Amino acid sequence: MTEKSPVMDDLTDFAVREHRSLWLDAWRCLIANRTAMVGLVVVAIFVLSSVGAHFFWNYDAEMDLDYGSKLLAPVLRVSEESPEIHIFGTDKLGRDIFRRVVHGGWNSLRVGLVAVSISLFVGSILGLFAGFFESADLNRFEKTLLMVGIGLGLGALPAWIARQPIQSLLFGLLGIVSVSTPSFLANRSRLRRLAFGLLGMLIGALAGIFVGPMVALVCGVIGLGIGLLLAKPVNGKVFSNIVMRVMDVILSFPSYLLAIAIVAFLGPGLEKGMIAIGVVGIPIYARLARSAVLSVTQKEYVLAAQSVGEGHGRILFRHILPNILSPIIVQATMGLANAILSAAALGFLGLGAIPPEPEWGAMLGDSYKYLSSGAWWAVLFPGLAIMFSVLGFNLLGDGLRDALDPKMRV
Amino acid sequence: MKPLMEINNLTTRFHTQDGTVNAVNGISYTLNHGEILGVVGESGCGKSVHALSIMRLVQIPPGEIAAGEVFFDGRDLLKLSEKDMRTVRGHEIAMVFQDPMSSLNPVYTIGFQISEALILHKNMNKRQAKERTIELLNLVGIPEARKRFDNFPHQFSGGMRQRAMIAMALSCEPKLLIADEPTTALDVTIQAQIINLVIRLQQELGMSVMWITHDLGIVAEMVHRINVMYAGLIIERGLVDDIYNHTLHPYTMGLLGSLPSIDEAPGTKLISIPGLPPDLVDLPSGCPFFARCTYREERCAKERPQLENGPEEGHSVACWRWREIQKMGIS
Repeated sequence: MTEKSPVMDDLTDFAVREHRSLWLDAWRCLIANRTAMVGLVVVAIFVLSSVGAHFFWNYDAEMDLDYGSKLLAPVLRVSEESPEIHIFGTDKLGRDIFRRVVHGGWNSLRVGLVAVSISLFVGSILGLFAGFFESADLNRFEKTLLMVGIGLGLGALPAWIARQPIQSLLFGLLGIVSVSTPSFLANRSRLRRLAFGLLGMLIGALAGIFVGPMVALVCGVIGLGIGLLLAKPVNGKVFSNIVMRVMDVILSFPSYLLAIAIVAFLGPGLEKGMIAIGVVGIPIYARLARSAVLSVTQKEYVLAAQSVGEGHGRILFRHILPNILSPIIVQATMGLANAILSAAALGFLGLGAIPPEPEWGAMLGDSYKYLSSGAWWAVLFPGLAIMFSVLGFNLLGDGLRDALDPKMRV
Repeated sequence: MKPLMEINNLTTRFHTQDGTVNAVNGISYTLNHGEILGVVGESGCGKSVHALSIMRLVQIPPGEIAAGEVFFDGRDLLKLSEKDMRTVRGHEIAMVFQDPMSSLNPVYTIGFQISEALILHKNMNKRQAKERTIELLNLVGIPEARKRFDNFPHQFSGGMRQRAMIAMALSCEPKLLIADEPTTALDVTIQAQIINLVIRLQQELGMSVMWITHDLGIVAEMVHRINVMYAGLIIERGLVDDIYNHTLHPYTMGLLGSLPSIDEAPGTKLISIPGLPPDLVDLPSGCPFFARCTYREERCAKERPQLENGPEEGHSVACWRWREIQKMGIS
């Protein structure tokens, strides 16, 4: 005890407790939870087998074809009629189902991971900002950023119609102008609206010179709308409202239907499927993040951070973000299960992976016709793979929820 | 010597769905260098809001600092840009909050949170900040500060967290420390420790302190002067001795009368001021204390009394009948 406190020693009997971090704590809680451990083991088996297969077990889907051994029931021993072992049997093209299930895992997990990353990243950022600016007002820099974003984003529509990317940039510029309005327009909202509407129309109608009068008309009208929107003064509350209403619109579509629509728009393929599933999942994270931010902002440590003079960015990313991570992590784990399921659904409908590529949903879609002729193995094993992977992630997610719940902690 | 802070006609309102809440209604006072000022009043009388208004931490909207001037070291804080104001916060005025359980961020270590302010304001590097933080933790009486540096808030007890908060507030050597009911969430023995700590630090560092509380018993032993607030107004102010021994305002008398005394026989009922404070959305045009006052007369309902100088130097009161009350010699 070299550093004895000058005032009082009455606190020394507080034994200095073991140094534990938040995450270490959560990990211990997770290990103690048996169902979560089952989930973790299942997930680990899937991850290891598919990653291992992808890198160390060569498989060329294009060349895998053997009509001689099609629709064989599981064979566990080499014999006259089947010179190879097929522990899960073979499908209609004589492909080994075990091999395809293991390789399909790589695709399914990849879809899940990428899709969840898209929704997680975009959704949490949107929710974080929406929740924070619900009560804090935008400063000038943030306002400029927002207006430029709106200009660029919405301007993409006429730019896409007229095939002139420069239009989008011009609308972005208009956004900058709207933040730094010249003083004579400051108190005249009508004049301001008129000026911005006309400017927007002009930028939109620019297409006419290059493309044609009809395009110019359409883009002019859209431009007018964007101009009027940019003329509106925004504050944090308006921004938050816009973001959350857009999220409501996305949520109002049945999720599979929306995913199918997006894939139909983008064209089939595993990557397009990832994007579709990712976009559909955005609102969940946005809502979750926003609600968590709203409750964390009320905490006194945020006020305390303000009272020592910290700015918006620092408070948002250093104080609020780490405190809303745990519900988002839980949701992401559960979301992985969901994304795998969605990917399988898309694959089943022929909208996910392109045929010879192995993917669980597509394998089901390929083989369900042969169920009536007794080939149960062709659908059972991919189906079980989907089921167990989803179950594994769900169990793990449940365990994480308990482990990361601050109320469970002493 | 010029006062450290001079507040003129500070007015803060909140525009809510139920109407405009007049939280602070034009208060004026001065705070000298090295002085401990107590701000007392019951819940909802505008004590905290007025402190947050000084720091400009009132949420806008729904809040609005409608009028007033806050001269701090010669500058009007209400006219500063947000960027300049950020350097005032923490650097020149620091604040300690009511609930030590929630005023530290649970995901960072105590040491990290205190050194963060040092790195931010004092341009220290990590090592210097760590050394200074350990010094500060020692200063506020946290034993084995070096070991405690890497502790998380949940490993601290309530009193220790409040000490850590005070260390954080003092990290940049502010000229004014605003303590917003810092002992309310603590038990009585810890309260006493925190009060002694602040008194000692005030003497060592020579800063000014504003101590906001609803407990007149606490402020009696530590502050130099008192502002008594009611319904967003200062209704009586003066040196501690004058407020306690020559009370002039009926509300202050009520507050003092409602303190439990140690000599009372067991079973004696605690005295309370009858009625409720006025609705801040719809303030009466007369004296805000009219409805609950035992000395009221007709005039009190119609005209609002302004602060006027009382019998002693620096003792002012906003009551029409303070002379009569003084003559009656009630206290």
